[in-house]
Amino acid sequence: MLPELGNFAIILALSFAMLQSFSPLFKQNIRFVQIGTTSAVAQLIFLSLAMFILICNFINNDFTVLYVREHSHHLLPFFYKIGAAWGGHEGSLLLWCLILSAWTIAFVFFSRKNLPRNIYSTMIAVLGALSTGFIAFLFLTSNPFKQDFPDSPMVGNDLTPLLQDPGLIFHPPALYMGYIGFVIPFAFAIAALLDGKLDNQWARACKPWVILPWAYLSCGIVLGSWWAYRELGWGGWWFWDPVENASLLPWLSATALLHSLIVSEKRNVFKGWTILLAIITFGLSLMGTFLVRSGILISVHTFANDPARGIFLLSFLAFIIGGAFFLYAVKIKDFYQASQFNLVSRETALLINSVILLTAMASIALGTLYPIILDSLNLEKISVGEPYFNIIITPIILILLLIMGVAPHIHWKQQSILLLWKKLRISLLLSIVLGVTLPWALGFKIHLLTCVGLAFGLWVIISTLQYCFTSKSSNHIPMITAHLGIAVLVLGITINKSYSEERQVKLFLNEKTSLAGYDFTFKKLDETIKSNYQSQIATFLIHKNEKKAGTLKAEQRIYLSHDQLFSKPGIHYNVFRDLYLTLGAQHSDGSWSIRVYYKPFVRWIWFGGFMLLLGGFFTFIPIRKRELL
Amino acid sequence: MNIIKIKFVVPLLVFFLVVGFLWHGLKVNPNHIPSPLINQPAPAFTLPQLFSPNEITSRDDFIGHVTLLNVWATWCNTCLEEHDFLLKLSNIESLRIVGLNYKDDTSLAKQWLQENGDPYHIVAVDSSGNTGIDWGVYGTPETFIIDKKGMIRYKHIGPINATIWKKTLHPIIIQLRNETL
Repeated sequence: MLPELGNFAIILALSFAMLQSFSPLFKQNIRFVQIGTTSAVAQLIFLSLAMFILICNFINNDFTVLYVREHSHHLLPFFYKIGAAWGGHEGSLLLWCLILSAWTIAFVFFSRKNLPRNIYSTMIAVLGALSTGFIAFLFLTSNPFKQDFPDSPMVGNDLTPLLQDPGLIFHPPALYMGYIGFVIPFAFAIAALLDGKLDNQWARACKPWVILPWAYLSCGIVLGSWWAYRELGWGGWWFWDPVENASLLPWLSATALLHSLIVSEKRNVFKGWTILLAIITFGLSLMGTFLVRSGILISVHTFANDPARGIFLLSFLAFIIGGAFFLYAVKIKDFYQASQFNLVSRETALLINSVILLTAMASIALGTLYPIILDSLNLEKISVGEPYFNIIITPIILILLLIMGVAPHIHWKQQSILLLWKKLRISLLLSIVLGVTLPWALGFKIHLLTCVGLAFGLWVIISTLQYCFTSKSSNHIPMITAHLGIAVLVLGITINKSYSEERQVKLFLNEKTSLAGYDFTFKKLDETIKSNYQSQIATFLIHKNEKKAGTLKAEQRIYLSHDQLFSKPGIHYNVFRDLYLTLGAQHSDGSWSIRVYYKPFVRWIWFGGFMLLLGGFFTFIPIRKRELL
Repeated sequence: MNIIKIKFVVPLLVFFLVVGFLWHGLKVNPNHIPSPLINQPAPAFTLPQLFSPNEITSRDDFIGHVTLLNVWATWCNTCLEEHDFLLKLSNIESLRIVGLNYKDDTSLAKQWLQENGDPYHIVAVDSSGNTGIDWGVYGTPETFIIDKKGMIRYKHIGPINATIWKKTLHPIIIQLRNETL
C-alpha cells in the first residue's frame, strides 16, 4: 500500500512541477504567478511525503520494494536504515528533487518581495522546468518505489559496509544542498538575460543564494574527505577521484562567482562575467550528477548504472545549459557597459582571482575528462592520477594565495602601488621568515616546497589579520573568516603532505612498534558481535618517551550479510597530529599485519573547511550593515 | 541588429564540444566495452618477471591453464581496493593469477606486493606500457580471462569484487575449465 502511495506522491509532484514551469509565464496576470508559487509549495509537500514513505519502507523492512531490498537488511541498525534511504541512486535522486524543491520554497519565502514581478515569475518558471526534468528522470528511469513479488522469501542485500557510518547521514544531504542550491543563481542569470538588465539590486538579491549553497558545498566536501579518511583505511583525505573532482569543480567556479558578484554589487561592472559564471557553476553541478550517475567514469562513488539514465541526463544537460549559453550569446551585448577602474584596483584583483579559479577548475575538469576525450579521439589510453593534479594545482593555488593576501588591502577604482607596498612589506617579510623557521621550530626537517607552502599560508593569515585590525568595520568578518579558513587548510595540507609517516609491520600480541617517536603496543584483542557484524577489536597502547599518550582501537569487521571483511581504522587525535592504525590480515603464525600512520596537522584541513562554512553563515548575521557606496 | 560577437559564442561552443565527448563516452561505457580481442589469441609479448628479472614470461605460459591476467600498478588506488579480493582468490587452487605490472616503478612494485601480500603466480613487468597497449589496456585495474589455449575470453575493466566474481567471472572460469585443450 505505502509504495503505491509513494508513486502517487511523485506523480502529483511532477504535475505540480509542470504547472509551476508554465503558469508564471503569463506574468501580466498576478493570478498565474501565484499559481506558480502555490504549485511550488504543493510540490514540496508531495516530495516530502514521498521521502517520508520511502523511509517508512526502510524502517518496516518492506522488501517487496526493490530499492529497499538492494540497500537494506532486517539487521541493519535503525539510523542507517534512515540513511540508506539516500544510500543508492534512486533514493538519493529523490533527495535531490526534494532539496531542489526546498531551495525553491526558501527563495519564494525570502526573495519574493525584493524582486520585480518580471524577474520573480521567470525564475519560478525556470525552477519549475528544472524540477520537472529531475522528477521526470526520477519517475521514468529511477523509481525508488518499484516493486516486485517473488515467490521465494525475501532478504535484503544490505547497505555496503563502507556506507554504514554516521557520515552517510550528513555528507550526501550537505553536498546536495550545495550542488542544487546553485540552481537559484542560475535562475537569476536566466531571468536577467531575458529581462535584459542587471543592476545592483539584482546582484544584492542574488548574493545570499550563492553564498549559502557555496557554504553547504564546502561543508559537504569536507565531510566527504573526513569520511573517506575514517573509512577507507589508508589515511588519505583526498584522492582526486573523479567524483571528488566533480564536487570540487562547481565549488571553484562558485567561489569565482561569489567574488565577481561582489564587484557587480558594489561597482556595477563585470555583469556578463557574473552571469557566465552563474551558468557555468550550475552547469558543472549538472555535469557532476551526470558523471556520477551515468557510470561513464569508474570511481568508488559510482552508482549502478543503466544507459538510459546517462542519455536522459546528458540530453537534459545539453538542453538546459546549452539553452542558457545560447541565450547568453544572443543577449549579453546588452549588458556591456564601459567601466572605469585602474589596472591596480580591487576590481582587477577580483577579476584575476576569478580567472585563476576558473583556470584551476578547467585544469581539474581536463584531468577528469581526459580519459574520455582521448578515447573519443582514438588516441593513447591513459588514466590521470594524483601526480597530474598535484603538479597542475600547486602553482595555481600559490598565485591565488598571493592575491588573497593583497586584494582586501587594495581600494576600489585605483590604488597606489607604493602605498600598498609600504603597508604590506612588514607582513610579507614576517610571513617569509616564519615560513622558513616554523618547520624548524616544530622540530621538522626543512624542505624548500614546505617552506614555500607555509610562507604563502602564513602570508594570507598575517595580511588578513592586519586587515582585520586596521579596518574598523565588522562588514568583513565573513570574508576574513573564510580567507583564514583557506589559509588554515593550506597550512594543514602543506605540513601533512611533507611530514606524514607510515609503516607496515607484522606484530604478535604484546609486541610493539614505533613511528615518529611514538611506541604502539599491541595490548589485547577482543571479539564482539553486533547486530549485523562480528568484529575483532585490537587495542593498542601509545607511549611517547615512555609516557602513556593514549589508547587506540582498530577494528576488523565481518558483515554477516556480505561475508565481507572491512577494516575500520583506529585513530588517536589531538590538534597537532593524528595517529592512525589499520588492522590487516592475520597470518597463519598468529601475527597480524598492521599499518601505522603518523598524520601531522591533518585536522587543520577539515577545520579550515569548517571555517568556510562558518564564514558563509556569518554573512547572514543581521548586525552586519551594508557598506555604503 | 543581431550581430553576435564571436567571443560570446565561445562558451556555447566549448560546452557542446564537452557534451560531444561525453556523448561518445557514454557509448563506450568503460564497464561494458567490448574488446576486439575477445576470442582472439592473446597478443604476443615477452616481458621480464618482477621477482626474477632474468626470467622471461610470454604468452606460451598461458597454455594449459585457465589464467586470470590482472593489470595493476602501485599508483592506482583502485588496485589496492581490489587487492584483498585477489588475495582471497589466490587461495583457490587450480586458478592461476598472473599480474601485469603496468607503467610502474619496479622497486615500488616489489615493495607494494611485500607489504600488501602477493596473490600472483607470476608478475610480468611492463614498464613502458607497450604490452598494455597491445592488450588494449584502458586503465588500471583490468582483468582478462585467458583459456587453456591462450585465447582471451573475457575482459573486465575496473576492480573485481565478490559480486562480479560470483555473477560473471566464476561461471566463465568453470566453463573454460571444462573445455578440453
